[in-house]
Amino acid sequence: MYEFILPNAWLIPALPFLAFALIGLFLHRWPKVSAGLSIFAIAAAFILSLPIAAAVFAEEGGAVFEFSTRWLSMPGLNIDMGLLLDPLTAVMLIVVTSIASLVQIYSLGYMKGDPGIASYYSYQSLFAASMLGLVVANNFGQMFVFWELVGICSYFLIGFWFGKESAKNAAIKAFVTNRVGDFGFLLGILFLQIIFGTLNFAGLSQEMAGYTNMAVLIPVAVLLFFGPMGKSAQFPLHVWLPDAMEGPTPVSALIHAATMVAAGVYLVARAFFIFSSVPQAMTFIAVIGGITAIFAATIAITQNDIKRILAYSTLSQLGYMMMAMGVGAMTAGMFHLMTHAFFKSLLFLGAGSVIVAMHEEQDIWKMGNLYKKMPITTWTFVIGALSLCGIPPLAGFWSKDEILLAAYASGNTGLYVLGALVAFLTAFYMFRLIFVAFFGSNTYGQEKAHENSGVMTIPLIILAIAAVFAGFVNSPLMHHAFGHFVNNPAGIQPEPSTAIMISSTLIALAGIILAWVIYQKKLISHEALRDKYSVIYNLLKNKYYVDELYARLGDIFVFGAARAMFWFDIHVVNGLVNGIAFLTGKSGDVLRYTEDGQVQSYALYMVAGIMILVVVATIAAVSVIV
Amino acid sequence: MDISLLLTEIMVALLGLLVLVLGLALPARGKTVVNRFALLGMIAILAYSITAFSQKASFFNGVYQIDMFGSYFKLLFLSAGILVMLMAGKYISRFEEKSSEFYGLMILATLGMMLMSSAGEFITLYVGLELMTISFYILTAYLQNDKLSAEAGLKYLILGAVSSAILLFGISLVYAMTGTTMFTEIAAAFTMQPALLAGVVLIIAGFAFKISVVPFHMWTPDIYQGAPIPITTYLSVGSKAAGFAALVRVFMVAINGADASFDWSMLLAILAALTIIIGNLIALSQKDVKRLLAYSSIAQAGYILVGVVAANSFGLKGVLFYAMIYVFANTGAFAVATAVEVDTGKTGIEAFAGLSKRSPMLAAIMTICMLSLAGIPPMAGFAGKFYLFAGAVQNGYLWLAVIGLIMSMVSVYYYLGVSKAMYIGENENDSPVLTTGGSTVALWICVLATILLGVYPGPLSELAGYAIQILM
Amino acid sequence: MIGLPHYILLSAVIFSIGVYGVLTRRNAIAVLMSVELMLNAVNINFVAANKFMNDAAAVGQLFSVFIIVVAAAEIAVGLALVISIYQQRKSVDLNDFNLLKW
Repeated sequence: MYEFILPNAWLIPALPFLAFALIGLFLHRWPKVSAGLSIFAIAAAFILSLPIAAAVFAEEGGAVFEFSTRWLSMPGLNIDMGLLLDPLTAVMLIVVTSIASLVQIYSLGYMKGDPGIASYYSYQSLFAASMLGLVVANNFGQMFVFWELVGICSYFLIGFWFGKESAKNAAIKAFVTNRVGDFGFLLGILFLQIIFGTLNFAGLSQEMAGYTNMAVLIPVAVLLFFGPMGKSAQFPLHVWLPDAMEGPTPVSALIHAATMVAAGVYLVARAFFIFSSVPQAMTFIAVIGGITAIFAATIAITQNDIKRILAYSTLSQLGYMMMAMGVGAMTAGMFHLMTHAFFKSLLFLGAGSVIVAMHEEQDIWKMGNLYKKMPITTWTFVIGALSLCGIPPLAGFWSKDEILLAAYASGNTGLYVLGALVAFLTAFYMFRLIFVAFFGSNTYGQEKAHENSGVMTIPLIILAIAAVFAGFVNSPLMHHAFGHFVNNPAGIQPEPSTAIMISSTLIALAGIILAWVIYQKKLISHEALRDKYSVIYNLLKNKYYVDELYARLGDIFVFGAARAMFWFDIHVVNGLVNGIAFLTGKSGDVLRYTEDGQVQSYALYMVAGIMILVVVATIAAVSVIV
Repeated sequence: MDISLLLTEIMVALLGLLVLVLGLALPARGKTVVNRFALLGMIAILAYSITAFSQKASFFNGVYQIDMFGSYFKLLFLSAGILVMLMAGKYISRFEEKSSEFYGLMILATLGMMLMSSAGEFITLYVGLELMTISFYILTAYLQNDKLSAEAGLKYLILGAVSSAILLFGISLVYAMTGTTMFTEIAAAFTMQPALLAGVVLIIAGFAFKISVVPFHMWTPDIYQGAPIPITTYLSVGSKAAGFAALVRVFMVAINGADASFDWSMLLAILAALTIIIGNLIALSQKDVKRLLAYSSIAQAGYILVGVVAANSFGLKGVLFYAMIYVFANTGAFAVATAVEVDTGKTGIEAFAGLSKRSPMLAAIMTICMLSLAGIPPMAGFAGKFYLFAGAVQNGYLWLAVIGLIMSMVSVYYYLGVSKAMYIGENENDSPVLTTGGSTVALWICVLATILLGVYPGPLSELAGYAIQILM
Repeated sequence: MIGLPHYILLSAVIFSIGVYGVLTRRNAIAVLMSVELMLNAVNINFVAANKFMNDAAAVGQLFSVFIIVVAAAEIAVGLALVISIYQQRKSVDLNDFNLLKW
């Protein structure tokens, strides 16, 4: 059966694409048929991915299959359309198809009653097709094509509720920011083509084996990294991702948490042979990743919107993965990508479930006590959060631990400290969210809240199981199986260290406890006061007031840094982006007034143009003529 | 000398004259028959010219060249003409009894373009150019009671005549220095001297006007806005491609490489950079879709010029490839604009608001065409730009490719602006925009070609590769 | 002895006068006449160059004839357009024709 499935792996992206085409052309009037077809296609892609993974992992160290056919051809430039099936691809295939299937099933419940279901599913299918096409690409050219396509899908899905002004703006911002990154990426690809004459990954890897001209490699590697910076929202191109939460929540889960934004990390892993040969670029990647991780984690603390907290958390985790790549731990980065995909999509879908139950409410302070009404959502969410925080033996523990270990082992103590700090902050803001939204005392709007139907909760449960167990594949329990397949000779795979394991667990616990002290303890005393001791109520109310004061002081001193970061983000980084856009627009505005409608001034421009051309030509030719 | 090799041109000339005469002779009711006849005739000629693609001959000692380069462009002109005729269907009704002359003049303009692409010396080139241009003067002013159309016609005529005079003065200087008008003989007699330098600069300026390169672009937005939309379309895809065909042949055969001591491509590079930058910047601030597409077409001319600058197989292949896919993408966009104009009477961006709800197909086609113009894969525009910029980089014009890439990014903004209006804007009128059978066919051809050539550019790029062999 | 450079100089002067006229005259008819002047400068060039460079083949003269013919067609269309726009606006002043701009 492998004989059939391996060369025909193109079916995996083709099936969702077919679904997209059928829905777009014929089925858009029948939303249920569209949804069914879309889910069927992605589920079929998932089932097809299984034997491929089996074939790849059957061999010790992982088998590699490559098939290709010519796409663009001219002297000196041949771009193939091809399939590269190796452990890296297999992991991504499984992750993307499984999560996409679950998200699409979940969307049945989430999008219920929305007038645009058919187009929603057509975009979902197109996205799945493009993402899978990106994953199986065997060369940069093909990858770029799909890279752009996922960007377009993301644009449409962010702006899906185009009635909202904020959604429109967010969509455009995402697209434009990504173009900045893609521009550098394309330039890097052009350079690769010109210098090495091929874009095929295997071919490049061979061509570059003996190549050491750093003056060429450094710019190429940095330009290539521009693509991941945009797509994976690394500082300073991260501005689009928090705004992208304007899209439907399942979209945020699939595209803006689990898969598309991870494409940048995947690219770095895929092109690891290029980056790892340029130490400067690796440092650059590690530093950018580190900055993104800490920057986003501090901002997450101040947010009150449940999706925005998760968005900043995603940013922070993407930074984590990049940092891992940068210190050379390709295995750890990919491992974290995989576990993160499961638990972060779980968290987003959980948040979506809450939002549906609360009738579009996203402010965590207006939620509370949801655990009684929505037990499945709550407990799966908690599992996801624990996994994200890195509490053993959940998935996040194994992957996060490896990143910290790698940072430590690579000798970048600064990055290790940074990573540990981020781990602490992560635990803190996640459990702040949980204590306030799920266990908080606010009961406003609670009567409406209810657990959602099976189409929404079953995907949550499945993902929760994955969030628990996915980490074992690279744990000592399974002899680091993941690392045997997904690795790179240039990368590092340090020996496990019990000290790091214990310390990272303690750090996460410390964060959780701090959140509990601040947000949960306060609430208990508050309830006790109101219910029982009305005499001491005022006294304790004062205490509550002190708590508030502490919170205020905390706001001012502790979170001051976070606020400053946020301000910097909004005013400086955003301002710079907007400023450039403004200047460009303005210059067009000024220039258009040269077009004054007078035919003779047009003629004057022509004559002046000729004169300038003559002068330029004369200056250039003076040596030839004289 | 085998006259049968000229059959394509002869048939086009006969068809044009026949349509003119029949249009005069037949009563008003017969016009639609004549119009059908014109369309079918063009399709038949296109079919014939495909079979004649690989013919090769040289007439009158090289005055007229039948080769694959010319054949490629003839295919392009005929396809563009047919698409424009198809999409014009409903629009044409406002010309009342003059509609068949409209078709006749369009066919004659097509003949002029064909002469330009195959001319082997300057007299033939000039005659073809004027045949095309004078037809367009009339067509631009064809909406007789429309003030904008008349003004556009007069402006185009004055500026066009001036640019022709400039081109001719350049040719006369070259003739005075070399004693010949044949491209190959000019190359042989080319020695650098001031008068020749001035002559070549003037020739470049003359062509720059036709392909609307900055600072010779000023006429473009006004004429595109004022002219009837089908003519705007034909101007932007046909006239421009013809200008490029002639420029490439003159530049490659007569000027470039004739005297290796001077690099003419540098001048074109400056013009290309200016064109790309200014065209895109002004497009950002446009509120009228016709004017927006006019500035976009200026910018597109800049991209194509990058390929001429590169002057290597990548670049020239890019020129031919891009000119062809530009026909489909731009005609698609203009066809949607025509449908909207016929429906609402306006072409401001606000007229496109809510189009996705009124006619989702039109909105989708417009978006796909726009994405292709912006060069987003997998639309055809990406493959085209890839050839062009790769050629420029290969020839050492990295800075030009960088400018091109940056400005393509900027262009995404205004192209998406139209999509934004279509998908996000509200319109109180939610009845579908009606399209005739012909324009529906044209729209589908455009959108399918744009996607197919993007996904599988191989065959067309091979064709372009054969076509440029004559120049390499 | 009058040589080719003299003729070229003469034609350049006439051409420049034509350009000047195009740029400064406000009357559309006068602008069209200035364009004719530019074209005639070209004709002088061609005929003179034919004499001095390649007397045997009459390519330059031929070119002039073509230019005269084509220019006649061009001007015919041009005058028709001027009449048409005059009927609409009662003016042939180019300054008035600026509905299309920006």
